[in-house]
Formats: sequence, C-alpha cells, structure tokens
Amino acid sequence: MQGDANPLKYTDIHNDVVASIVETGSNYYVALATALALTLICFFFPWFYQLYYGIGAAGMNHPGVWGTYLASFIFWIGLSHSGTLLSCVLHITNSSWRKAMYRSAEAMTLFSLVVAAMMVMVHVGRPWFIHWTIPYPNQMEMWPNFRSPLLFDVMAITTYITGSTVFIYMGSIPDFAAVRDRTRGWRNTMYSLLSLGWRGTDTEWHRLHWAYTFLAVLIIPLAVSVHSIVSWDFAMSIVPALHQTIFAPYFVVGAIYSGTAGIVTVMFVLRKFMDFGEYITELHFDNLGKLLLVLSLLWSYINLVEVFTGFYSGASGEIEALRYRLFGFYAPLYWEMITFCAVLPLLCAFKRFRTSFVPMLFLSIAINIGMYTERFLIVATSLSRQYLPDAWGLYVPSAVEISILVGTLALFTTLFLLFVKIFPSVSMYEVKETMDTPKKIPAAASGGSLA
Amino acid sequence: MSFLDRIAEGWRKNRKPGYYENFDYHWTMTIDLDQCSGCGACVTACQAENNLPIVGEKAFAKGREVKWLRMEHYWEGEYPDVKLNIIPMLCQHCDNAPCETVCPVSATYHNQDGLNTQIYNRCIGTRSCAVYCPYEVRYFNYNDHTWDSPLDQQLNPDVSVREKGVMEKCTFCIQRVRQAKDAAKDDGRRRVRDGEVQPACVQTCPSQAMAFGDRNDPESKVSQTLDGPRAYRVLDELNTKSSVVYLKKVGTEA
Amino acid sequence: MPNIDRRDFIKLVGAGGVGVGAGVVLRETIRDPREHLIPHVLAPEDYSSGVATWYNSVCTMCKSGCGISVRTREGRAKKIEGNPSHAVNQGGLCALGQAGLQVLYNPDRLTGPLIQSGTRGSDGFNQVTWDAGLGRVASRIDVLKAAGRGDRVALLTHGVGGTLATLFERFAESIGTPRLHHYDYDHPHALYAANHQFFGEQHLPYYDVKNTRYLLSFGADFLSSWLSPVHHSLGFAQSRGGDHARGHLVQIEPRMSLSGAAADEWVPAKTGTEGILALGLAHHIVASGLYRGSDADEWRQVLAGYELEKVAAQTDVSADTLEHLAESFVNKGPSLAIGGDGAANNTNGVDTLVAINALNYLAGNIGRAGGVLFNPEPAGAIPHNRQANFRDMMSLAAAARGDEIEVLIINDTNPVFTMADNPEFAAAMSNVPLIVSLSSFMDETTAIADVVLPSHVYLESWGDAFPEIGVGFSIGAVSQPVVAPLYNTQATGDIVLELAKRTGDTMPWSSMEACVKDNWRAIYEQSDSSTQAESFDTFWTSLLKAGVWGKSNHRDATVTLDKSAIAGVGVQAPEFSGDSADYPFVLQPYLSTMHDGRGANLPWVQELPDPMTSVVYGSWVELNPTTAEELSLVEGDLVNIESPEGSIQAPVLLFPAIRPDVVAMPIGQGHTNYGRYANGRGANPLEILSPLIDEGSGGLASNATRVRILATGDHVDIVKTSGKSRDLGRDIVQTTSGDDHTAQMNNIPITVIPT
Repeated sequence: MQGDANPLKYTDIHNDVVASIVETGSNYYVALATALALTLICFFFPWFYQLYYGIGAAGMNHPGVWGTYLASFIFWIGLSHSGTLLSCVLHITNSSWRKAMYRSAEAMTLFSLVVAAMMVMVHVGRPWFIHWTIPYPNQMEMWPNFRSPLLFDVMAITTYITGSTVFIYMGSIPDFAAVRDRTRGWRNTMYSLLSLGWRGTDTEWHRLHWAYTFLAVLIIPLAVSVHSIVSWDFAMSIVPALHQTIFAPYFVVGAIYSGTAGIVTVMFVLRKFMDFGEYITELHFDNLGKLLLVLSLLWSYINLVEVFTGFYSGASGEIEALRYRLFGFYAPLYWEMITFCAVLPLLCAFKRFRTSFVPMLFLSIAINIGMYTERFLIVATSLSRQYLPDAWGLYVPSAVEISILVGTLALFTTLFLLFVKIFPSVSMYEVKETMDTPKKIPAAASGGSLA
Repeated sequence: MSFLDRIAEGWRKNRKPGYYENFDYHWTMTIDLDQCSGCGACVTACQAENNLPIVGEKAFAKGREVKWLRMEHYWEGEYPDVKLNIIPMLCQHCDNAPCETVCPVSATYHNQDGLNTQIYNRCIGTRSCAVYCPYEVRYFNYNDHTWDSPLDQQLNPDVSVREKGVMEKCTFCIQRVRQAKDAAKDDGRRRVRDGEVQPACVQTCPSQAMAFGDRNDPESKVSQTLDGPRAYRVLDELNTKSSVVYLKKVGTEA
Repeated sequence: MPNIDRRDFIKLVGAGGVGVGAGVVLRETIRDPREHLIPHVLAPEDYSSGVATWYNSVCTMCKSGCGISVRTREGRAKKIEGNPSHAVNQGGLCALGQAGLQVLYNPDRLTGPLIQSGTRGSDGFNQVTWDAGLGRVASRIDVLKAAGRGDRVALLTHGVGGTLATLFERFAESIGTPRLHHYDYDHPHALYAANHQFFGEQHLPYYDVKNTRYLLSFGADFLSSWLSPVHHSLGFAQSRGGDHARGHLVQIEPRMSLSGAAADEWVPAKTGTEGILALGLAHHIVASGLYRGSDADEWRQVLAGYELEKVAAQTDVSADTLEHLAESFVNKGPSLAIGGDGAANNTNGVDTLVAINALNYLAGNIGRAGGVLFNPEPAGAIPHNRQANFRDMMSLAAAARGDEIEVLIINDTNPVFTMADNPEFAAAMSNVPLIVSLSSFMDETTAIADVVLPSHVYLESWGDAFPEIGVGFSIGAVSQPVVAPLYNTQATGDIVLELAKRTGDTMPWSSMEACVKDNWRAIYEQSDSSTQAESFDTFWTSLLKAGVWGKSNHRDATVTLDKSAIAGVGVQAPEFSGDSADYPFVLQPYLSTMHDGRGANLPWVQELPDPMTSVVYGSWVELNPTTAEELSLVEGDLVNIESPEGSIQAPVLLFPAIRPDVVAMPIGQGHTNYGRYANGRGANPLEILSPLIDEGSGGLASNATRVRILATGDHVDIVKTSGKSRDLGRDIVQTTSGDDHTAQMNNIPITVIPT
C-alpha cells in the first residue's frame, strides 16, 4: 500500500481480483466439493430424516423444547452483524482500513442470514407451513400474530436480508463492471447483466456513493434492532433467567463481537488462499484486534451485570437458574465460554498479538466457539430451571443436532466459496481510493482503463 | 362516530389479551388440595378422553412424556418429620396468558369462554409457547404416535389425534363444553347449568376434589369457593390470572 | 402451434378421453375399501352414528365393585366413567378402572381356544375350536367323575361373588370335588379372621370414613389400595370438608403410603409393631380412666404389660406421642381405627387387627356413625370359606406334588406370579397332568396350561357384583356387555355351563345371562320397597338403567363382647425371616397402581407416574437417604435385594419417608409372560418373600422378610417425571394454618348419595 517499496498500481488490483475470480486451481474445486458434500451429508440428509421422523430426531424434550437449532439461529444472526459493522458503521466513520475487507464481510452477513433462515426451517415442527408467518391474503382469513416477538423476527430478518442483498449488490456494481471489462464469453455476459450497464461516469459515481451511504445509515439501526428483536424472543417471556431487560444490548454486543471475530477468521482465509496478502495486512488485523478487545470488555461487563443482578435479585427462580448455569451440569461449558470470550481476548491488548495472523485466527475461532456456547447456554440452562422445580429437566443435544450444526458451517462455507468466484471479494474501487492516484501514464503503455 | 373514534374504540376493545371485555362463560376449575390424594385417576382419565399418545419408555426416559395433567411432588422436611405435598398441574387457562402473545401464527388464543385454546392445524411447532409458559404445561409431539391395534379402537372420535410437530395441552375438555352448549341450545336455547359439563379429570376424581364451572354464574360451585380464604393461584405473582384456583392444604396442630 | 387437421384432432380428443376414463376406473378399483361410503340405512340396533350410547356395568379391576358407565360410539367402547348413582363410588373412578378399556382392546388378548402341542411352558400353543378345547377338558373330568374320583379335579379362581360364585359352587358340587378355591394375593385374610375372632362376624364391617373426625390408620393405604379405595377417598374428602370440624388423619406405618401423604400426622412405627402400639394406646385409654365400660377390669387385666414406656421402646414411637394419640382418639371423636396391609401382613397380623378392633371398642366406635358399622347379609353369594390363604395354597401345592390332582382349572388368577417364593408353586403345579386356564390373557400361570379356554373380559360379559366391602347396607349391581365380543372367546359363566353340560350336569340355564337374570329374580321376589317394580322385566330394565340396586337395611349393631374375645387380645412381637445381622433390612412390598400385577399389561398404567415417586415403566427399591448414604449408594444404582429365598435386582430410589431399617418395593412388575407392555420389565418382590405365615389366619406375612442390599456396580437412570421434588421456598403448594378450621374451610361442595 502507501509507502511500500513497490507501490501497487491500479492495474495490479484489477488483475489480482479478477484473477481470483477467473483463475481456479484444483484446490478450489476440492474445497468446494468437500464443502458441498459435507453440507449434503451433515446438513440436508439429517434434516430430511428429521422431517420424516419429527423433531424427536433432535434431543429436545420437556421442558427443554428449544435446543441447538435455536442457538444456531441466534449465533448465525449474530455473525451477520459482521458486515454491518464493517460496511456501514466504519463507512460512516470514514475509516480507511475497512476497505479491503468489507465486501467479504457483507457477504458473510448475507450468508449468515441465509443459514439462520435455514435454521428456522430446521427448528420448527412443521416447516411446510412456515409461510403462515408471512402476512399474505389467504382463504383462512388469518393474519399472523403481530404481537409475537417471533413475528417481529420474521419482519426484521426479512428486512435485513433484503437490505443486505441490495447493499452488497449495489456496492459491487462498479466492480462487476471492472470484471466485465476484463473477461470474455459467458462471464462477460453474466457480468454485463450484473453490472447493469455501468459506465463509470461522474453522475453514476455520485449517485452510487449517495445511495450507498444512505443504505449504510439505514442498515445500522436495522442491525441493532434485528438482534434486539431476536433477544426479545427470550426476554418477552416471564420465565426466570430469560426475562431480563439486559438481553437486547447483550445480544447486540454479542452479535457484533462474534461477527467481528468471524471477520478475522474469514480474512485470514482470504489472505491465505486467495493471495490477498497485499490488501489484507497487519493493519487490518491490528484494528480488528482492538475492536475485539473493546467488545470483549463490553461483553464481560454485561455478563457480570447478569450474574450480579441475578444473585442480588433474591428471587429463587433467578438464583437457581444462574447457579445452574455456573455450577450445574453445563458448568464446564459456562467456564469455557468465560475463558474464550472474556479471558483470552485480553491478549489483544498487546500489539504483538494483534498483528500476528495465526494467533489471531485461533483467538477468533475460540471467541466464536465461546459465543456459540453462550447462545446454547441461554437456551438450555434457562429451560432446565424454571419456576416449578418438579418440572426441571435436562436437555442433551442429539447426534442429528450436532451434525446439523457442523452442516451449517459447511453450508456457509459452500456459499462463501461460491461467492468468491462470482463476486469480487475485495472491493476494487474502494481499495483504489486508499492508494495514491497514479502518475500520468502515456495511454499506449497502460494495460487497461481507469475504471 | 368519526374515523379516528372508530380506531380508538377498536383499539380499546382489542388491546386486552383476552380480547373480550366480557367472557360469555368464564370456565374455571378449583382443586381442593386438602382432599386431593394424588392418586392419578385424573391423569388416566385425561389420557383416555383426549387421545393422549402412549409414548413408550424410551420417550419417557428422554423426557418426552405427554401428560396434559401431571402430579407434582414436593417433599418438606427430613425423616421422621417429613411431609409430601402433591399438586395436580394442568394448563391454567390464564386470562393473561404469556403463551398467547408469542405464538407467531396465533395457533393459541383466548376464546370467548375464557379458555386458552390450541388450534392443532394452525400450529407450526415453534415451541415458543412452551418456553413462555411458567407452569410448563404444554407438550410437544416429537414424533408421530401409533397405537398397537386394537388399542386405537378406543380413541375418542370427538378429539383429533395430533401429528408430529404440533403442540398440545389441556383444553378443559373443550369437546365436552361444546357438546354441553349444543345440548343446552337444543333444550330451549338456555345456558349450560352448573354441573352439566365436567372435564374428564373432574368427573373421575374419587375424592371429588375438583370442581369445574362458570365463574360468571354466581350460583356455581366454583363461584362459591373462588374468593374463599383458602383459594389461591400458583405463581400468582406473575399475574397470569389463571383460571385454575387451588384451595390450600390445611396444616394442623397435632 | 403446429397445424392439426380435423381427423387428428378427433383422434387426440378420443385418446385423451379414453385415457381419462381409464384413469378414473383405475383409481376407483384401487381405492381402499374403507373409502367407499356405506350408508347406514339399517343401522345395528345398539347404535346411532355420531351419538354415544351409554351402558352401566361393574368394574372388576379390583374387588371394590365400583359401578361404571361406559360410553360407546359405533359399537366401540370409548370411555369408562364412574356411575354417579352407585353408592360405592358415586361417579368417581380410579386410574386402574379408567384403564379397563385397555383390557378390552389389548393387543395381547387371547383370541380363541388354544391347546399346548409342545412341552409345557413353551410357545407351542395351537389354535383349536371350542368344541375341541371343551371336549378335551370335559372328557377328562367325565372319566374322573365316572370313577367317583371327582375330587381329583381342582378349581382355582380369583375371588368371585354373586352369580359366578354360585355357578362355580354348583359345578364343583356336580363334579364332586371339595377343591374349589378362590385365590387373590391381596385378600384380607387377617381382617376376616380378626373380625371373626373379636366380633363373631363372617363379613367385613363397614368403616364409616366419611363421618369420622379422627381416623387412626395403621398401615391402611385406604386412599389407594385398601379394600375400597374410591369409596374411602370420597369418604375421606367428606370428612375433611363440609360444615363440620375437619377430619384428622393419623397414619402409622414404616413407609409413607399415599394415604400417609394425605395424613396430618405420619408416625413411622417399627414394622410389625402396630398391634403393640394399638394396645399401648388401649392401655392408656383404660388406665387413664377414659374408658368407663363395665368390663374395664377385664381390659385392665389383658392390657397389663402394654405400658406406654414399654410400648414406646418396642415400637420406636415416643411415649408422649402415644399418649397424645390415645387421648385424641377418644376425645376428638367420632373416631375410627383401621388396620391395613402394612399392619396385617405380619406374623402377628390377626392379633394386630384384633387389637385395632379393641381400640375401636374402647373408644365406643362400634356401631356408631363415623366408626365401625356392620354390614347386613349380602344379597348375593360371597363364599368366604372358599378363599384360599397361603397355607391353603401350600396345601394345594402339596396335593399337586403328591399326585392327588389330575385336573386343575384356573380362572383369571396368576399364582405363579403372585405366590411368594413362586418357583416352588410353579414346580408343584407342573405335576398336574391337565391344567386348564380360562384367562383372557397369556400370563405366567396360563403359560403352563395345557388347554386355554379364554374368557370374555368384563366389558363383554354378563355378571353381577355384591361388593363385600360394602357401604353399610345391601348393594348390588349387574354388569352387562358394553360391546359385542371382539374375539372367539366366551363368558366365563358360559364356559362353566358348557363344561357342566358336557360332564353330565345340565344346569337349568342356557347362558350366563339367563343365570344372572334368574338369580336376580330371586332378589326381586324377596320383594320389599327396594325393588318396587310391577314385574321382573320392569325391575330388570330399571336395574340395568340405574346400574345399581340397594336396600336401606342398616344393621343395628349393639355389640356385647364375650369374655373370650377380650381374653384373646394380645400381640406378640413380629417374627422375621433371616438373621438381622446378615439381612439388616425388612422388605416391605406394597400394592402399586398395578395392584397385584394385573395392571402391568396396560400401557396407560405403565405410563401413569407412580403416585408417590413418579416413576414409570420399571421397578425400584426405596431407601431412606441415610441408609443409602451408609451403603454409599446414589439414586439409580442397581442393587441386588437378597432375602434368604433369593435375589432380585432393582435400582435405588431415595425416599425420604421410610424407616432407615426398612426398604420397600412396589408389586406389579417383573412379569415374564404377560404381554408386550409387561414383559421383561422390573422385578417382582414377591419372588423373594419368605413363606412366613400368620398363624391366626393362615395368610402370608408379606412384611416379614429380611433382606440385604448389595451394590452391583451398575447404574441406570430411573425414568421418572419429577425433576426436583423440593419447592425451594417457592410456596407452590400453600398451606393454611389449621387454627380455625371451620372459618377457613369453604370447600368445594361434594355431591353425595344420601344413605
């Protein structure tokens, strides 16, 4: 980047990114085939088995009626906040270091939402009627129940998916055009359609920038509200440990936290396997690390608040639920979560750590494991310990559930792998904005356009 | 009335969770804990009347029993000064039901007779109602159930057999309530009299510890006991306004 | 669109039409036959589609004889309810009674006569015709009869009364055999003996629970399994509620039963010392001058030696408690003392129950409301002398072993399962050349039969019931079929009639229905106000419609005890099998919802969480938590329960309300051959009971077996529905202080039939 011995030229960026789309090694196909196979085997086949047999294929019982499916749902919605943060928030604050990463982050958002929506279908008892949650005119003359937080979910997530899709697509138009101009044949046709006839005029740029900023501003409150609404699935109940006002900020902070950690993971992969080492550098990891530290401290604070208020509430229900979470059957998971999400990230206080790629990778994975555990614990422990002690129970996930959990990762990976071959995964035009403008080069010697 | 007034009126009318300012009937059940022995006859009667599945030992071991009415056991003290308190727990048909708010497709709602009803064929199985119920009296069908022939010949034709993926719970034997209302209507458009309709559990109780009736009828059995000094509701502090009223056990000086 | 000319068009249309037509025809032919609607132009007489028909009958799941009304739809039984008009249960019905539908529709029912073609006890039963089956049995009996050796035929039936009892009597007489036995595990032999010894009564008295205000129960689980639980539950509720002082219940037993859970006071006396405790109370009542009868001196004499301190040491109940109980018993009357299985099933059982009778006598409870009332003579036959106690069954086994029995006919009783130390009994029975079973189900006893002639179940049969336990006046009911018989079975009475006919005794009735009707004609003819009908047919119809018949003929009971009755009062210390050093615990087997095991093949009963422990589908052994700790056992640890007779396995359940020196197990599981729902489940504690007999009654002292508990090292997760059985201060079951009962009562008003 700036100040390097061999400064990047605009053409370098174009060539690199287009090459990442056009040139495909066998490694890629192997990876894609594996991801696809794992998706089928770990996600779809167990899901079809569950459709046939009933939710009994999972480990849920009475009173543990919610389990890993819902935890996964919330987890993936949480991960979806990655794009929002990087794309929108950092765009408005005009930070330059986001520019190489945000396209992939937005893609993460989109695919996380897709996976989360799939998890809803896996979770409900009769998914073939899931369309009843959508308010369409029907012969039953029934609207869905608008007072239900689950329905707020449907509305919010639909809006979020729509918004994110438009957002990522719109932001990619100039890059599609760039790829269009460098490819031939079927790719040329595809990218021509996708780029909607972008010519790179001033007016077009102006409009794009304005629309992009507008959407970015809109999507931020959307992201906050989506995860708040998801948290209200729990908080609007009246059972102990779930009925807490801190849930909305808790979930939003947690979402941004796990989303940021997710970005670190994906960035590492992109650096390594897509040869984007010059675009995604130590600086990015450094800044992401700082972000992780702040979020980790915030997360720890909220957890402390939860524990504190639970114990001093004096309410038997709250205290029991909390005690179960800390010292009961799932205690090992609780302490693992604390270690991974509150203790380990403190390493990010050290620049040495923040700028080392592999340790950051491990940390980010650990954080996400911890965050998933957090979602799971909220679901499992709260349902195990409610008001009537005689009805206490224990929920243990089944093999089908674990398989589907692995399957969601495979599904996400598959989608992402497909993404990197269709979308330019680094935003060319925004990266160029961080570079010095090129010196005037005689037209004959340049290799391409300035688009 | 102006347009705005009409909206305001509709808002006032429909904002209350029970939807109705006045319930037509307000079915209530009272259970006298001083007389209930915990024998479980009501549990089996409910199973027989409402086509509850025979889930099998494996399902029980997994915690997937379906018993709309269950006996809760609470021991007090240690040997030899030990006491066992048994309380039947069933859907309380709360007027302020948390489960009704959360169902995304309105598969559970409060009807004009004060019953919390479950519409099996609308339920998509999100199970959030079971999460929200503080009494944990909602039961989910984790798989399809079968009855070894000819046990299926016993099934009650007035009650549906639920398929997998659907939530179910005590209905106060709504099929009996319906039939009683029909019979009363045929009998000269009168109202259902106290004692004409009894859910299966109330009917079979050997101690007659349970009573069922209309709270709106001041002469009914339940109305007599509802405001008595021994009447209380479980988890009353949650303000669920349940329709099942328990009468306290009497602790005695020896 | 390509060009089509007219010809092609017509060809296409024709082909299409043929295709559609073929499709329709094909679909119609492969339709499930049930999809064809068959209009009910001429419906069967007993039902209208969509409308329920109700039949009154009698429940036979236990001997209480509760009246039931069965709801049927389209010829199928849908729901059993209590008959509101029947004085025993007045509309209520217990869980086992509700499960009667699963007896009728059980998939493991025997569908027709069988003859064992392989070795006894094997799977080699072949379906045969009734003619063949009956013929096989009748011919054998005939041969014996002709040779004057009719006494080599033995009839073993469950406790029957009324018409069926009369039929059996007549049949036995015609064959010429004295060996007609009624056998039920839970027959209260000791209670009969005690009442005979003390009052000179043949029949059981009526315990007026509903009017009592102080119920002192010595191990009687009257709300769950003792005598007539539904009737007692109703009575108990009445004594607790209403516009009167609240009835107080004290339960004295080593292990808390369901009745103990409902008690105001629970007193864990040592096993088998209940009688001593009762006499301790009696001693105090006489010594303190609370009893002022003319025979006080005789009492003082016979009660010497039962001073409170002595009794306190023997029973492990403090003298203060004893004093308080004795005084309350007299002062808080009307009071009633009852003795159940817990007290009666010891080696001193009869004496214990006599002591309890004495207690009632001293408190003036005999013959007054709220106390012990005497039942009038029942209107139907109740052959007490036929009830086989343990000693009788052992004699029967000895006779079998001694080749004295050639034909054994068993009707609906399962001694191979319920007899203590039952392998001995089964071995003895195997000596009998021809064993015939009239059971409706394959069970452990039927499995060793040679010929099976399956009976209808009670919902398919005619019969009648005159509940011995009674309600204080004469009562009876007719049971009628509520559905057409499902299988190729016959009513037990009809089988007996047929066998009688084939062995040369043609009884004057063509069928069981006719026989029942005839017996009731006799009742009708001794007519008084209770029958009040112009003709027998009107009487019969109204009898079936009401489902019950009664006669308000309370017995006026003034009781004068003769000296020998008083002199016979006295209780020895209980005896136990095994050495207390080797076998430190006393095993208490108790009747569960499955009763004596008969309910184990009903899935609803298996799935009904046990009322005290909420366990389903298995057996368990209850240990006091202190005991478990001493043995380093946790809940779910699989242990061997070893008695001097044998060993069974069950998981440990921690039970707070049991004496540390007692372990308890429910009876009912441990079946090996009783259908898919019962087989291979749990353990049968009766197997390891020592054959100790209560000399006073000849009955089995089932609480007299000592055992030891040995860990096996294995662990299972006990399947139960309760999570944590402590309410952690959340006040889920609220209690009100009992200071002012009357002001606080405000009970649900109960509807009762006035007696």
